[in-house]
Amino acid sequence: MLNIYKRFWQVNWAEQWQYRANLMMYLAYGLVSPITYLAVWSAIADAQGNVNGLTSANFAAYYLTLLPVDILTTCITIYYLAYKIQDGTLSNELLQPVHPILTNTLVNNLAFKILQTMIFVPIWIALVLLFRPTFTYTWQSLLLSAPAIGMGFFIRFLLESTLTLIAFWTTRVWAIYHFDTAVSMLLNGAFVPLVLLPAWAQTMAHLLPYQLTLSFPILLLLNQLPLEQILLNYGLQVFWLIVLYGLFNFVWRQAIKQFSAVGA
Amino acid sequence: MHIIRVLVALFKINIQQELAYRVDTVVNILTSIMWLAWELLGLGIIFSNTNNIAGWRLGDVLALLGVFKIVNAYMQAIAWPNTETFNQGIHEGTLDYTFLLPVSSQFMVSFSRIVIWNVWNILLGIVLIVIGLFSAGNAPPSWINTFTFLVLIVSGALVIYSLWIVLITLTFWFTKFDNNVTLLQALMDTGRYPSVVYPVWLRVIVTFVIPIAVATTVPLQALRGELTWWQIALAILVSIVAVFLSARFWKAGIKRYSGASA
Repeated sequence: MLNIYKRFWQVNWAEQWQYRANLMMYLAYGLVSPITYLAVWSAIADAQGNVNGLTSANFAAYYLTLLPVDILTTCITIYYLAYKIQDGTLSNELLQPVHPILTNTLVNNLAFKILQTMIFVPIWIALVLLFRPTFTYTWQSLLLSAPAIGMGFFIRFLLESTLTLIAFWTTRVWAIYHFDTAVSMLLNGAFVPLVLLPAWAQTMAHLLPYQLTLSFPILLLLNQLPLEQILLNYGLQVFWLIVLYGLFNFVWRQAIKQFSAVGA
Repeated sequence: MHIIRVLVALFKINIQQELAYRVDTVVNILTSIMWLAWELLGLGIIFSNTNNIAGWRLGDVLALLGVFKIVNAYMQAIAWPNTETFNQGIHEGTLDYTFLLPVSSQFMVSFSRIVIWNVWNILLGIVLIVIGLFSAGNAPPSWINTFTFLVLIVSGALVIYSLWIVLITLTFWFTKFDNNVTLLQALMDTGRYPSVVYPVWLRVIVTFVIPIAVATTVPLQALRGELTWWQIALAILVSIVAVFLSARFWKAGIKRYSGASA
């Protein structure tokens, strides 16, 4: 099995490496909204001293931690897989004796992620020098956040893969994806630290898995969570991983049953 | 007049294409309503914590979002779909046919695809501007300010268009430059908020290097009567120079084209 993953890695790494110029564009695009929100909240915090106790240095630390965590936990599954399902090229992969999503698609995501991280590091250093945040990282918080980021990525991966499987039934999977993105951007902490959301939205955020993929690892890194919160969120991550894995498997079995391989 | 007849024909073709996928049009409009709700909710959250962003009140920011939606409608309706056709043309050599036509190649590359339903986003933009201006408690803008606003929207759109031409022309040199327009869209997206909120280095980029602010913040300032005549003249001058230079650049670029299939 390890050999299979190794081979998939070689193929996908070579493929992503070819598209490195495009990757830089994606990266530039991904920087814009966090920097915009950072600018807006900093302007407000500077004008009135703080927003709910958060100063502009706090906002800078939050959004500059968000950028790497976001790169590590997001997913490109729908871009990679939806077209393959729609134009029927997935047929080839279905003939192989391994699960196409849990091998090829997963490894493709990882290759994309690692290449993106390599390009991102110098950009991040430049942004830190420009915005001068006060980071509150400690060795413990860095160590604790590693499993949280890993599980956060798998939660996002299973969620988005399940969503992409809808492409087996309808070509309008992109509209559903837009809706998912909108809800997730509001409730995972990408728009604003969750404490600034109205009470009803905070409740919703904690009932849904989205905050586990971004807000939780960020706050963990910044050392802002008490021990019981850390344990609770770890527990929630494990819980959602099990639920989403079950859901993903169920939808996958239904999906391949009615796959008719367009173009084959 | 020749070019107008071509444009009318292109409109007809694109409307026919869209009518073939009516349900998609409905889904697209619903998606755009959902994003509007998202943006309004976002502004609601921001303004529940403050009553202004760098001196801009809720109504002002709403009006700015309206201007942004109008300019962005150009990106969604014309720039993106034509980029797709253009990139495909470069890779597969179908761009040959464009050069064979007895019409300006820059014109055909820029306007052959038009996604009509985006007219909806222009309407939304106008509604947001009207609501924003009235809720800010300003007196209704004078005729002369409204006229200047319209002129500056057009000149702003021309600047964006020129930047687009430059970006796609670069593809003649770097064939693999598929994501050429993503960068433009990324900087465009900063136009949702007044340029004064950004740190100086970013403000310099969006005002002078890639002048997005010329297309969003500046027209709105004209509508509110905050611009002096020389600022208006400068904005118009910038757009004329941009159109001229980008057309020259396009001409230089097409000399590099050799045809992928030939």
